[in-house]
Formats: sequence, structure tokens, C-alpha cells
Amino acid sequence: MLPTCPVLPIHSLEQLLKATALVSAAISAAILVWYLVRRPSLSRPTKVLLLFGLGVMPLAVALSGNIAGFEYTLQRQFCASCHVMLPYTEDAADPKSTSLAAIHSRNSSFGHESCYTCHADYELFGAMTTKVNGLKHLYYYVTEYANTGPYGEGGEPIHMYKPFQNGMCTRCHSMTAPSWVAKEEHAGMLEDLQKGDARCVDCHGGASVHPRSFAHGGKGRAPATAAAGQGGQP
Amino acid sequence: MISKLTLRKLVTISAITTLVSLGLMVAGMLFPSPILLVLAMSLGQLFATVSLVLYLLAIALDLQGVGEHEVLADRGGDT
Repeated sequence: MLPTCPVLPIHSLEQLLKATALVSAAISAAILVWYLVRRPSLSRPTKVLLLFGLGVMPLAVALSGNIAGFEYTLQRQFCASCHVMLPYTEDAADPKSTSLAAIHSRNSSFGHESCYTCHADYELFGAMTTKVNGLKHLYYYVTEYANTGPYGEGGEPIHMYKPFQNGMCTRCHSMTAPSWVAKEEHAGMLEDLQKGDARCVDCHGGASVHPRSFAHGGKGRAPATAAAGQGGQP
Repeated sequence: MISKLTLRKLVTISAITTLVSLGLMVAGMLFPSPILLVLAMSLGQLFATVSLVLYLLAIALDLQGVGEHEVLADRGGDT
């Protein structure tokens, strides 16, 4: 009987980049440890080898590691690594939840990247703006929320840096689609929505999106079994 | 310490700094918590850049004929 393959299968770009970075790091470390232990003279072959160990390989680690890191930060799992986000991420991942966040997360176009897909800034340099805001999140997490309860209880309710833009919704929900226009409420607000004077979340926001969040009146944790799934309308 | 710096010590410092930076970058990939990722992408890459600059400096000095064990301060006068 053949032994099980010890190498993890690669299914995504992130895993491929991680594997590339780890192999490059291993090669680089092997060269450097060899140099530090054996102390060879700085002959031409040694210098070329060191150029790989000190330059080429670390560069490969930094590049592939950066991209893999950015790819990982798109995932809901990453958002959930700060406990104050658990009321949001646990609901989004809950197959029984009928909140807008959960419904969108069950859509394969959003999937495990549902937080980023709805909350990223899609303007010019939007990805970088989003990442800089992520650094701000980390700062606030460390300075203000690190000692709050398991779901962020006791901390100030978190809020977005700027109002949720209609463009996040209309990227998929076209305001010219017949099914959208057919809704009486939509037809009367079309101009205001296009100008940005009215927002999608004015009607579809709050507890219907993130029912467990403290900011929207939730209690952080999942509701009791009997009340499960009553968080919002699809 | 700087007054006794040699080409070999420069390369050794560069190698150790690179190992530290590799450790940070690999930790950021294996345990991708927000803090480790930020450390890997900032300090890790800063250390890697510094070590590469040190190595390139060593190569440049080598090309100028500085010996492997020659004290750099002696070569540069009172620097």
C-alpha cells in the first residue's frame, strides 16, 4: 500500500504563492545557514551563491508572500481573526441565517470573500485604500478593543469610516434591470439613488444585513434556536 | 564594533538579518494573524532590504580591492 502523499494539494493562487514563498525561504535559509556554519572564503562561487541566498530568494519570498498575504486578507476567515468581527462573520457563515450578509455569503460570487466583496472601495486605488483602512482597524483593535468581551462586548460599537455606497450594491443589482424597476418603491427613488441622495441601505440596511452586530441592536452571538433565522428579510 | 568591521563581518550581519526577515515573512504566511502579517510586510521586508544593501555594499568594497579580513575603518582612514 502506498503511503499518503505528505504534500498538501494546491487549489488556489494563494496556496501556490505560499508554496513558492516557502520553498524560496527554505533555499535561502539553507544557503545562509551553510555560510554561517561552514564560514567559506568569499570566493566568486560563494558570492554568487550568497547573492541567491541574500537577494534573489528573499525577493521571491517577499513578492509571493506579499501577494499571498493580500489574497488571504480578502477572506472572511481573516476578518474573523479579530473577535469584534465575530458577530458579523459568524452570521455570514451561518447556513440558517437569513440576513443579507449570510444570503450574499452563500452566493458563490461572494463566497469566502463576502466581507471584502461588499466592503472594499472599488474606486481608483480602492484596493490600497481598503488595505490602509485595514491597518487603521488593526490600530483600533489593539488600542481600544483588545480587552473587550469574546464578541467585543464592552467596546464602543464599531462603525464604517464612510457611509455604505450604492455602488457596492449596484455592481450586481442593476438599477435598469426590469425586476428592479418593477418595484414601485424603486421607481420613485431612482433619481435620488443615482445621485446618491438616497441610499440602498436606508431601506435594506441595519439589522437586516448584520442582525448580530451591537451597532445594529444585536447581541453578538447567534439567537436562540427558536428565534434563529428571524434576523432579517432576504 | 563599527571600527572593527570587516567585509566578512558585513556579510555575516547581512546573512543574520536575512534569516530574521525570512523568519518574520514565513511566520506571516504560516500563521496569518493581522499583527504577524503587518510585521512580515513591514519589518520583515525592511530587514530583507537592509541585508541586501549591506551585501551589495560588501560586493562593491570587494570590487574595490578591499580584503576579506581587512578592517574597513583602516581602509577608509578616519571613517
